[in-house]
Amino acid sequence: MITTRKPRREKDSQMPRKKRTCRFCDAKEIYIDYKDEKRLSRFVTEQGKIIPKRITGTCAKHQRQLVKAIKRARHLAMLPFVSDAIR
Amino acid sequence: MSTVQRIYESTFIINASLDDAQVDAVIGRVQDLIVKNGGTINALNKWGRKRLSYSINKKTNGFYVNLEFTAPGTLLSVLDRSFQLDEMILRFLTIQLDRKALAARAKAQAEAAAAPPEPQPAVPAREPLFKESAGEAKS
Repeated sequence: MITTRKPRREKDSQMPRKKRTCRFCDAKEIYIDYKDEKRLSRFVTEQGKIIPKRITGTCAKHQRQLVKAIKRARHLAMLPFVSDAIR
Repeated sequence: MSTVQRIYESTFIINASLDDAQVDAVIGRVQDLIVKNGGTINALNKWGRKRLSYSINKKTNGFYVNLEFTAPGTLLSVLDRSFQLDEMILRFLTIQLDRKALAARAKAQAEAAAAPPEPQPAVPAREPLFKESAGEAKS
């Protein structure tokens, strides 16, 4: 039995999908402050978990800074460790 | 004796059930400790009473204070110890402001200074619409 692969669509190879850029790199931010809880809360789920960078599009360097800032904010009770999601 | 002065930032949470005078007393104690050990206070920001994301010592509110100071490295252990022993301080976090943080801060200050708030446009003096002239007869 011969298995045939679906032919790759030409559209994909000619026009690659645009990579989402890191919003911190676009804004040329060098330091992510832990005191900015409103901005940090956008990178955290309803349950309080940190959103992975493949979903937010953040680059590795800024994700590391972001995570550090979020953990500091959690220590200072500005962000929760675990929050009950509304079911 | 270390004479290298570094810039630090300390954020701590004070028990919110204290009244303002007692809160100021706690802050004063911290500032005195810094100054006595050879540091200088750069900025003090009181954020006021805020709701905590989770309860600390069964309390739901806290009085946040942010303090920026320059001090030799030897002060840090003394400061953290005093935070730990002070019953009125619930949590504390002291970090050293590194090169990136300082650069970002300098940039923010430069931007704030470069774009001062625009003054209100001066209202041009307008002639009164109805000139009051004594003796004008009503038609």
